[in-house]
Amino acid sequence: MRKPFDPSLVPDPTPTAALPSGPLSVSQLTAIIKRAIETTLPATVHVLGELSNLKRHSSGHLYFTLKDRSSELACVMWRSEAAKMKFTPADGMEVIATGTVEVFERAGRYQLYARKIEPRGVGSLELAFRQLCEKLAQEGLFDAGRKKPLPAYPNRVVLVTSPTGAAVTDMLRTLTRRFPCLGVLVYPVRVQGDGAAAEIAAAIRNVNRCAESLGGVDVMIVGRGGGSVEDLWAFNEEVVARAIFASRIPIISAVGHEVDVTIADLVADVRAATPTAAAELAVPVLEDVLAGLAILEGRLRRAAVGQTALAGARLGGVVARGPFREPLAVVRRREQFLDELADRPGRALRVRMQAVRRRVEALEAVVQRIAPHAYLLRSAVRLRDAEHRLRRAVERLLERMRQGAAAAQQRLRTASPATLLPRWGERLTRHEGAMLAAVRHAHSLLRERVQLKEEVLSALSYKSVLGRGFSITRLKRGRAVVRSLAQIHDHDRTLTEVADGEFEAEVLNLRQLELFE
Amino acid sequence: MAKPKLTFEEALKQLETIAEQIEQGKIGLEESIAQYEQGMTLVRYCREVLSKAELRIQRLQQRGDGTLEVTPFEPQAEP
Repeated sequence: MRKPFDPSLVPDPTPTAALPSGPLSVSQLTAIIKRAIETTLPATVHVLGELSNLKRHSSGHLYFTLKDRSSELACVMWRSEAAKMKFTPADGMEVIATGTVEVFERAGRYQLYARKIEPRGVGSLELAFRQLCEKLAQEGLFDAGRKKPLPAYPNRVVLVTSPTGAAVTDMLRTLTRRFPCLGVLVYPVRVQGDGAAAEIAAAIRNVNRCAESLGGVDVMIVGRGGGSVEDLWAFNEEVVARAIFASRIPIISAVGHEVDVTIADLVADVRAATPTAAAELAVPVLEDVLAGLAILEGRLRRAAVGQTALAGARLGGVVARGPFREPLAVVRRREQFLDELADRPGRALRVRMQAVRRRVEALEAVVQRIAPHAYLLRSAVRLRDAEHRLRRAVERLLERMRQGAAAAQQRLRTASPATLLPRWGERLTRHEGAMLAAVRHAHSLLRERVQLKEEVLSALSYKSVLGRGFSITRLKRGRAVVRSLAQIHDHDRTLTEVADGEFEAEVLNLRQLELFE
Repeated sequence: MAKPKLTFEEALKQLETIAEQIEQGKIGLEESIAQYEQGMTLVRYCREVLSKAELRIQRLQQRGDGTLEVTPFEPQAEP
């Protein structure tokens, strides 16, 4: 609508002829002023001044005053323009505002409709970068403590970048070369121009949201190749910084070249100097992983073999010195115990049987002396038989016990002695009991028989031998049997008993028998 | 057998732990042998993971409903 500024078009400063002669209405005057300004000033002016009274209305429009030492200029910046501003304007800042001066007729005011505000002395982008840096640093977005570690062995990597260009090619080539067992997903975004930042931020959020349905995403690389500061600007935008910060998935930033540092680089978990470097950071080299695995396997083998050898050596030690060297020692000790056990009743039995035998022998001596009756002889034989049977019974018992011991020993060889021995001991005790009972029984039987014989012997008495010519002499007074010369004196009266009666006699000529030793 | 859910990294970590445990000799022989067997299973599992996985390059595309669609990726030349 408005033409570029042309000085020749500036009207004569004193154009009074066109004015009506009467008083002017406010509207008429305002219209004249408006026309004068609009036709006098160029469509775009650049005004240098200090920002003051800066107000951002809830509508998003920006109201401020530009001033210098002697004058002030009212300014407004519409929302659409204000939103594009990279840096944050503040009171006291010296700026160059670019826009159009127009008259606001209703208020009778002129003001500058600014389309752009540039900080003076420093580039707007640089200032914006510094300002955002400061802000995010304060909020802790760059804190080292908030950075997530990268997985050592990622399974799936997402590249948020332009699908065209060198960056994506470099990254894919590097990933393929290093770790060819990887899932790579390219999330195409615009990486420069209006809306690029929003796209990048949305992509980061989407990948986080859909990571599960993609089968899990281990790491994301966000970046682009080199370019001018303006080209890289999207990676300096707050929205990208916040999206990176909010990401659960670790993010490697890879923007431009080594020298280019963006806000995204500062927020990212790891900053890579270039896209290729980012790919190198993201994945290991497969050969190295396999080599590491082989080393681990070797360690495992050696450790297991070492453990086994160690255990073997220990086992050897135990076997060499423990009861394992003489596995039968335990059994033998038990056997010895058993023998002792068998000996004990045996010994007692032998003692008793010797006593019995001695009595039997004594009886036999008597019997021989007094010409034993055939019955006595038979009895003596039977006694000996009884003794023999008793002995055999005991031997059988002992034999059975030994067999039991042998069987137990056999079982001990195959089974654990610890479990068998107590049971075995129990049986031994039982055997011992049975044997003692048997011995006692046999002994009492024997004793009974001996008693019986004695009774029979005494019942038969001496009378049986009287018939064979023996006689008994008793003192007449007191009827004591005369056993020794000491009992009698010459002329004592005695009674002598023979088989069929007795006769009285007088003692004469006592003669001591010659003793011979 | 290693659980199928085990990631490569987890498997490797377990493997390292097992190797250390056996090396330190703090566990008994039977346990060592069991651990060794488990370790060798993990080694096989790790090798399998690495050998079975192959490089796939795909492209993500956002659908209208906000979900992501995976499509084949064809490298494009710079315009």
